[in-house]
Amino acid sequence: MKLRLATCALMITAAFAATDANAQDKKALAFVVNGASDFWKLAEAGVKKAQEELPNYDLQFKYPEQAAAAVQQRLMDDLVAAGVSAVMVSAVDPKSSTDALNKVGAQVPLFTTDSDAPDTNRIAYIGSSNTDAGKQAGEIALKALPDGGKCIGFVGLPGADNARERIEGMKSVIAGSKVELVDVRGDDIDMTRAKRNVEDALAANPDIDCMVGFYSYNPPRIYEVLKESGKLGEITIVAFDEDPITLGGVKEGTIAATVVQQPYEWGYQGMKLMAKYLEGDKSVVPDDKLVIVPTKIIDKANVDAFEAELKARIGG
Amino acid sequence: MNRKDFGLLILILVVGTVVAIINPRFLSPVNLSNTANLIGLFGIFALGQAFVIISGGIELSVGSIIALLGVIFVDLVSLGTVNWSVAFAVVLALGCLIGLVHGLLITRARLQPFVVTLCGLLIYRGVARYYTDDATAGFPFGASFPTLEWLVAGRFYGIPHSLIAFLIITIIMAVVLHRSVFGRYLFAVGKNEEAARYSGIHTTRIITAAYVICCGLTAVAAVFIAMYTRSISPSSHGNFYELYAIAAAVLGGCSLRGGEGSIIGVVLGTVLLQVLQNLVNLLGIPSSLNFAVMGSVILLGVLADQQFYRTRKSVARAAG
Amino acid sequence: MAATPTPIIGGMPQSFLALTGISKLYPGVTALDGVSLRVSPGEVIGLVGENGAGKSTLMKILGGVIEPTGGEIEIDGDRVDRLSVNGSMRAGIAFVHQELNLFDNLTAAANIFIGREPLRGGPLRLIDTEALNRQAKPLLDQLGADFEPDTKVADLSLAQMQLVEIAKALSLKARLVIMDEPTSSLTVTETNRLLAVIGRLKAEQVAVIFISHRLGEVKQTADRVAVLRDGKLVAELARGEIETGTMIRHMIGRDLKTLYRPPAAPPGSAILELADVRTTYRPGQGVSFSVRAGEILGLAGLVGSGRTELARAVFGLEPKLGGEIRIDGRKVALRSPREAIRQGVYLVPEDRKRSGLILPFRISHNISLASLKSLSRHGIVDRAAERREAEAQKKNLDIRCLDTTAEAGSLSGGNQQKVVLAKWLSMQPRVLIFDEPTRGIDVGAKNEIYRLMRELSDRGVGILMISSDMEEVIGVSDRIAVMHEGAIAGFLDRGQFTEENVLSLAVGRAAIREAAE
Repeated sequence: MKLRLATCALMITAAFAATDANAQDKKALAFVVNGASDFWKLAEAGVKKAQEELPNYDLQFKYPEQAAAAVQQRLMDDLVAAGVSAVMVSAVDPKSSTDALNKVGAQVPLFTTDSDAPDTNRIAYIGSSNTDAGKQAGEIALKALPDGGKCIGFVGLPGADNARERIEGMKSVIAGSKVELVDVRGDDIDMTRAKRNVEDALAANPDIDCMVGFYSYNPPRIYEVLKESGKLGEITIVAFDEDPITLGGVKEGTIAATVVQQPYEWGYQGMKLMAKYLEGDKSVVPDDKLVIVPTKIIDKANVDAFEAELKARIGG
Repeated sequence: MNRKDFGLLILILVVGTVVAIINPRFLSPVNLSNTANLIGLFGIFALGQAFVIISGGIELSVGSIIALLGVIFVDLVSLGTVNWSVAFAVVLALGCLIGLVHGLLITRARLQPFVVTLCGLLIYRGVARYYTDDATAGFPFGASFPTLEWLVAGRFYGIPHSLIAFLIITIIMAVVLHRSVFGRYLFAVGKNEEAARYSGIHTTRIITAAYVICCGLTAVAAVFIAMYTRSISPSSHGNFYELYAIAAAVLGGCSLRGGEGSIIGVVLGTVLLQVLQNLVNLLGIPSSLNFAVMGSVILLGVLADQQFYRTRKSVARAAG
Repeated sequence: MAATPTPIIGGMPQSFLALTGISKLYPGVTALDGVSLRVSPGEVIGLVGENGAGKSTLMKILGGVIEPTGGEIEIDGDRVDRLSVNGSMRAGIAFVHQELNLFDNLTAAANIFIGREPLRGGPLRLIDTEALNRQAKPLLDQLGADFEPDTKVADLSLAQMQLVEIAKALSLKARLVIMDEPTSSLTVTETNRLLAVIGRLKAEQVAVIFISHRLGEVKQTADRVAVLRDGKLVAELARGEIETGTMIRHMIGRDLKTLYRPPAAPPGSAILELADVRTTYRPGQGVSFSVRAGEILGLAGLVGSGRTELARAVFGLEPKLGGEIRIDGRKVALRSPREAIRQGVYLVPEDRKRSGLILPFRISHNISLASLKSLSRHGIVDRAAERREAEAQKKNLDIRCLDTTAEAGSLSGGNQQKVVLAKWLSMQPRVLIFDEPTRGIDVGAKNEIYRLMRELSDRGVGILMISSDMEEVIGVSDRIAVMHEGAIAGFLDRGQFTEENVLSLAVGRAAIREAAE
């Protein structure tokens, strides 16, 4: 009995030693997201593409099992303990996780993506500027409503940084024009509430001219409600992100345009940047430590090309 | 209609009147129709919850079941391999099976309902997320299932079909709960399980049936909700919906100790909850206060009811 | 509380407690009638009497739970106007109940000092567990306990739990410990140890009132025996006069009213037969008897003799470990109440509020609870038929209520019992088991229940009546089976019905066993 136990222990130790040895052959780079979503599938595709070009690195793409700061923190600690060389993270709650992120940053080079944590010791942020994206949404609205009009916005968490920056960005562009954002309704990322918010907004303001969906699932809900109430085409829809329904609406011409981020590029460029940084090339990090991958406006003109690209990336 | 239900109706009318005065659009056909639709969606599974609560138990996995069965339904339908009616049958059968397992764990393995259904809440959420690999399950753009859509999301002279379905289910469940042998046994088991057993009632079967009914109705609701949002992100879809159901049942006079409650009460409870959600939007109250408004009104309603009950009791005692 | 030195007057210790002319009247019932009793420090008083003789009423008065309607209580020579529960405790009166009042998830020491735990200093008020165990140890040692103070009560035997209760009483500086049937569930060795503990309490000048049906034990320990009968103190026996025969003679001397209604016809063949039925209560003892059609079989015995367990086993509420049950000569399994009911075996349970009725339900819904399927069509209750049945039963059994839609809980005890009966009468009973059919029911309603029992037996129903009320057993039964410690001690035919015969069978074996030890 004792002998068998000892053998087991030996075998387990041996197994661990073996994995350690493997891991040490190549430097590991980890991309840690804030939760599971389709959006990150694109970033994962970008990471895969980067892997092809970085054969000397082991690129890992990690989902926390829950979109909670504590869970994500444990995941990063585990990765650092397992010996990864650098981490890129979309922090669940960047504002209140400064200490935790610093702890990771003290051990390995830390990069942020998607949502920045400027107060930490992160090397750089790679991602969109939500303010810029909001500005682009404002431009869409100005173009679609030359005579001005009233807009109402829909979002998951109105207090979250990404939502606030998008809303502020849009407001800064439409300020002074006849286009106006009268209200933004939150739904706590509950799709039923998201849809009912659109219905209620329509009931409360039948004369509304424009609806803006700030989170990826908001435009499809707007699209469905307007379709069901027969107002598709009458009310301008300004969208964010690339939900299939949103792209369909853009193609159909019922959605004015959508502002998309490029998570594929975050994954691809981010990984290559990290590799370069590890190889000693510090020049890849700009002085302001912000590597902005610009957001794009997708309208009827370029939607087909965009969709094809998307399919190719996710399919590949 | 008993006193409790009547009080609730009064509360709904008062809230409704106040909202209508502040914003007359509350009574616009569009708004009423939309609210009616949501009453239908949330009412169907609240009725199920009421059966479990009357049996003296609780079903916490409702939200997760809605997510799991929702993704399965959307997946089956959008793949197009099976007809939507087959998909509906599959989902309904799965719902009943889940209820059966809960019931057996509670009555045979003698586990506490809270524990069993809490584990269910975690398990089904996890399975739903694994099933789609955490991706959003939805229909492709322009996908159309005319019969199915007409059935679950259509409107008949402005009356949403979900509300009609809810009303039909309400009538059936009212007969089952208030007129059938099973319903009487359910109240008996919830009120005094021992006396019920001494009267020859198969108490374990009655309790198990309550969970089957609850999860079966939840499956029906899952299909309606899936067709309403048309897109399900399994990590958040249906989160906290069990609490809407429990709140509606408690507002409607169900006692968490079991043995008390009425179908009409649950219907009114659901109506009140949805009117509250509606008024938050119509009156331009910040969305973040949504839950706070709901919680406060439930608390006030239950408190007023309790005070009224106590006053009446002491008056009766003084008179006697 | 400081220990009071015992003043000696004329060589006799002064009474610690003196009761003079204590009476307790309930409407229509005299529970106690001018009882006087003195208790001196270090004295062991045996209190005996039949069920219903007034023992528990007297104890409740001493515990401050109920107030006497007449008489005086003196403690240490001071008259006490109103004895409250706290006052009783402060005076040093402690109880060791039949149902022990212990927290079985806590340790013995924690139970002894519950509410008075020694604390560590500091704002958190943490319990000083070491001090707790240290202080409990001498108390338990004094009683000859064979377990450590930090043992969980759940892991103790019943006898050990009693020691914890007694230790608790001692820690409260009790001067009088009242023990209610303390030996009813103990083995012979445990009983002897408890009797030794009583000796130690006596040596510590603690008085003991020892209530027991086991007259042998009373004889062994008591300095004095008080016999209660019909609420009166009928005899006080000094040490030399305590004899089992004398005690029984004083206990049974009451005049029983003739309740007996003879059956319309001689009993028919056996309906319910038990052959060597064993229950979890005393698996070693098999029980055999039969109940004949048209017969009321009384099942007598002391509390704890296994009668209720037997009834539960027959009704399918508890597993049967052996033997067989036959109904009309056919072997039946009766694994659940449903199976028993299907065979026509119905139970009117002892605790009607918990097991017999659903109190918040309407009277009519309680009546129809077991027969609902026959009052329904396609699973839907025929409410008109249900109401008709309830009204018919209301008339038949003379249930006094305004309306059958009233809550069953609003009825008096007697009418509640009639509702339980109505539930079974709306079906086809073959055998009706009554467990304490008239407990807590007033005299008028009692007689009605007895009349109904006879009517049923005349219709060919076999009736098994469990009762601890001697008047009831002797007055109502056609035949009596007496149980003792899980076995049938003997049968009595109508001609042999005397209280003495029933009582000696009920306690008899204990005496025989004690003699053999």
